[in-house]
Amino acid sequence: MNEQNPTTLRMRLMFATSGPLAYVSVLDLGRLWERALRRAAIPLRYSLGFNPRPKMQFAAPLPTGCGSEAEWLDIWLTEPCEPAAIATALAGTLPPDLHVIEITWVPEDAPALSELMRAVTYRVLLRDVVAAELETACAALLKEENVLRVKRGRRRHQHYDLRQLIETLSVTPALEPWTVALEMRLKAQAGATGRPDEVLSALGLADIPRRCTRTGLFLSSPAEAPDL
Amino acid sequence: MESMTHNQLLNTNTPDPASNLRRPISWETIETLLHRVQKPGRYVGGEFNAVHKPWDAVTTRICLAFPDLYDLGMSNFALQILYDILNRREDILAERTYLPAPDMIAAMRQGNMPLYALESYHPVAAFDILAISTAYEQLFTNTLELLDLAGLPIRAADRDARHPLIVGGGHGAFNPEPMCDFFDIFIIGEAEEVILELVERFSQTRTLSREAQLQALLGIEGLYIPRFYRADYTVANAFAGITPLLPEVPVPVRRRIVGTLPPTPIHQIVPNIETTHDRGIIEIQRGCTHGCRFCQAGIITRPVRERPAEEIIQDVFAIAAATGYSEIGFLSLSSADHTEIETLLQTLQQQCSGLHLGFSLPSLRIDAFSVALAEGLTGSRKSGFTFAPEAATEALRRCINKEIHTEDLLTIAEEVFKRGWRTLKLYFMIGLPGETDEDILAIADLAHELRRIGVRFGGRKTEIHVSISTFVPKPQTAFQWEALADADTIARRQALLFQNLRGRGFKVSWNKYPGTSIEALLTRGDRRLNAIIERAWQLGARFDAWDEWWNLDAWEQALTELAPESFGSVEALREYFMYRERSENEVFPWDHLLSGVERRFLLQDAQRSRAGEFLSDCRGICHACGILHHYANHRGAEWRCPLPKSSKPATNQQTTGNENQL
Ligand code: SF4
Repeated sequence: MNEQNPTTLRMRLMFATSGPLAYVSVLDLGRLWERALRRAAIPLRYSLGFNPRPKMQFAAPLPTGCGSEAEWLDIWLTEPCEPAAIATALAGTLPPDLHVIEITWVPEDAPALSELMRAVTYRVLLRDVVAAELETACAALLKEENVLRVKRGRRRHQHYDLRQLIETLSVTPALEPWTVALEMRLKAQAGATGRPDEVLSALGLADIPRRCTRTGLFLSSPAEAPDL
Repeated sequence: MESMTHNQLLNTNTPDPASNLRRPISWETIETLLHRVQKPGRYVGGEFNAVHKPWDAVTTRICLAFPDLYDLGMSNFALQILYDILNRREDILAERTYLPAPDMIAAMRQGNMPLYALESYHPVAAFDILAISTAYEQLFTNTLELLDLAGLPIRAADRDARHPLIVGGGHGAFNPEPMCDFFDIFIIGEAEEVILELVERFSQTRTLSREAQLQALLGIEGLYIPRFYRADYTVANAFAGITPLLPEVPVPVRRRIVGTLPPTPIHQIVPNIETTHDRGIIEIQRGCTHGCRFCQAGIITRPVRERPAEEIIQDVFAIAAATGYSEIGFLSLSSADHTEIETLLQTLQQQCSGLHLGFSLPSLRIDAFSVALAEGLTGSRKSGFTFAPEAATEALRRCINKEIHTEDLLTIAEEVFKRGWRTLKLYFMIGLPGETDEDILAIADLAHELRRIGVRFGGRKTEIHVSISTFVPKPQTAFQWEALADADTIARRQALLFQNLRGRGFKVSWNKYPGTSIEALLTRGDRRLNAIIERAWQLGARFDAWDEWWNLDAWEQALTELAPESFGSVEALREYFMYRERSENEVFPWDHLLSGVERRFLLQDAQRSRAGEFLSDCRGICHACGILHHYANHRGAEWRCPLPKSSKPATNQQTTGNENQL
């Protein structure tokens, strides 16, 4: 979507988070973006009513404990803005570990990013884990037909099949102080979203220190995907 | 003693007890714990507007601590003011720390990780000064936990000049005696007035011993250094007074105050995670002139000092731009008393339309004016309208000096419901001096009456929330001579109220009595409580304000073990500190700390209370509480005490026989 489209009031921000900011919830991240955009005096479009909220949509909720190299956020404005102008305004108003990678125009009627989501890749750096052992465990997990796990809800617990959500799983080397990296591609669709900590638990690594980073979001139709 | 091990572990194998506590902890190390704990965002820092200074570029490093969760501590405005004042100075660096939740504490202890500050991740023990909020008594055991988690000896006597200077301050410091063995210094009064003096003087004493450092600080007004005083007791084990041990030791220590409110911190730290009061804050007024007799804050923050509306408006826009907050909270003990409040809100409404900026106004009065004010605020209808009559009968209101009348209250409630509120929140106290069962039944009657009015205007969805707290006699108030109501009385009255407030449309909540009784014990305690607090903490008492974590058994056992020594029995100890009505001549453990309001004035007010007399708001007529006398030279432009007619200071009638009073 590189063509000039200065009339649209919908913008797409690609951003990265790391360090401390990996440890906030997706709700926190929304609030954090709202405040950063307000500091930058970006003319956000607010809902009506008693408790007005700015119109903003993430592509896929980022789990608490995960940084990201590529998140997407759509925001709606009350007056057209140049992407470069937004980038300039945001410089100096973002918390230390939030970085904007790219800002683009999006047609107002483009589908919500969340509807296009298909899969997400994660890289999980681990300590004190031997690569060969982890490879064996991954191979065993992938060989299973079903891996039933329980999702604990506030009211009831739900059983689901984690195996169906794992598309790929592989082990790669990592730099000190980490010993290995676990690369995974998990389904991310409405009602079928894999979480990296669930995969770690299934591998028996629930208690192992880790650094988790989302490395990519994959949309269902390349035509709809923003330019990368 | 499990709780002692952390300290010992951190200190093993090093000749200098603090050398392994000097280097910053790496992010990678902190990260190893985070996947195991709830809300890890509390422990990582990285907030917008947090100040990061190079460690070696300053001469003095101060860690500001709030000994409870980040979620609460981030909302403490006093620490934000200090953070701002200190970090404005090029030669000083101020960072923050909070007490982690029990899951993180356990993870840190297991991983031998000391408590660290959120900006540079330096261990707290690496700072020159550690200033800990003593805002209220439920923070006391947490303070010991914080010191221990930092790898510091909890007792001042066990620390030396290699350890940070431990400074306390906040409302709890108006009787700091129960904690005096753990702190080096208490700041009495408004710390923003004294902190730079303290830091400057301290920074010139680096080569001295801790004892000598503290002696060098003796000349600074408003500092209470407990080790230079001795507490005496009678043969009957009653507290008999405090004696200074050196000629230059001040008695009394007079509260420091600012003449004019300090500039509002503009670049307020914006937390990355949701906190208790997630908004920008402007202190619009300090002090209160209503003179409620149970209220400590209303005494120890006198005189009333306002921030001019014009300045508040500038601050609103500056804070909104610097933080991105969509809500600004106005801080004061009685918002509607601000002389320019109406213009202020009107102007803001005009200037903020379309900016999606809301305001919250705490502590409104029960009058039509306040209803009109509240109506102008966005979002307040959702959360309900709050009344704090504190007592339901005229007699009891006279006793506590809360000048509201039931007919007025009903009229105003009508106004509230007419304007669309569906929930009314009522705050009452029980266990007040002279209270009878009739007073309790009157609370229920009033709640029913209010619900009927609500139903008339807003239908059956109307809800009345009644929140009951148990009256705790506080030091430095007119009620400091009163007794705490005992457990049976409170239980009976709570039950009575509950029986009469059942059914649809009512919600009743109250503080649990055991928690209240610990607060009551600590708030008027003397130095003998240090050992009990320490023992209770060793046995696992902490987070005393948290229902899910606090540990009554630990307190009970500590009392059982230690009460007999000085008091013979736990019952005798409770009787002495909590259930005993004090005589006029009682010597209090806080008599040497002067809020500026004279003991003589408080005693007269206590007598008025017994006689059922109101004392009017002192904006109109000064009642000579002592403030104008003590702080005549501090008077700023925005003081609300009337100007004295003559220069004659408040007279000093000798009614108490207390030598510590001027
Ligand atoms: S000096 Fe007078 S006016 Fe000022 S607070 Fe005291 S009683 Fe009120």
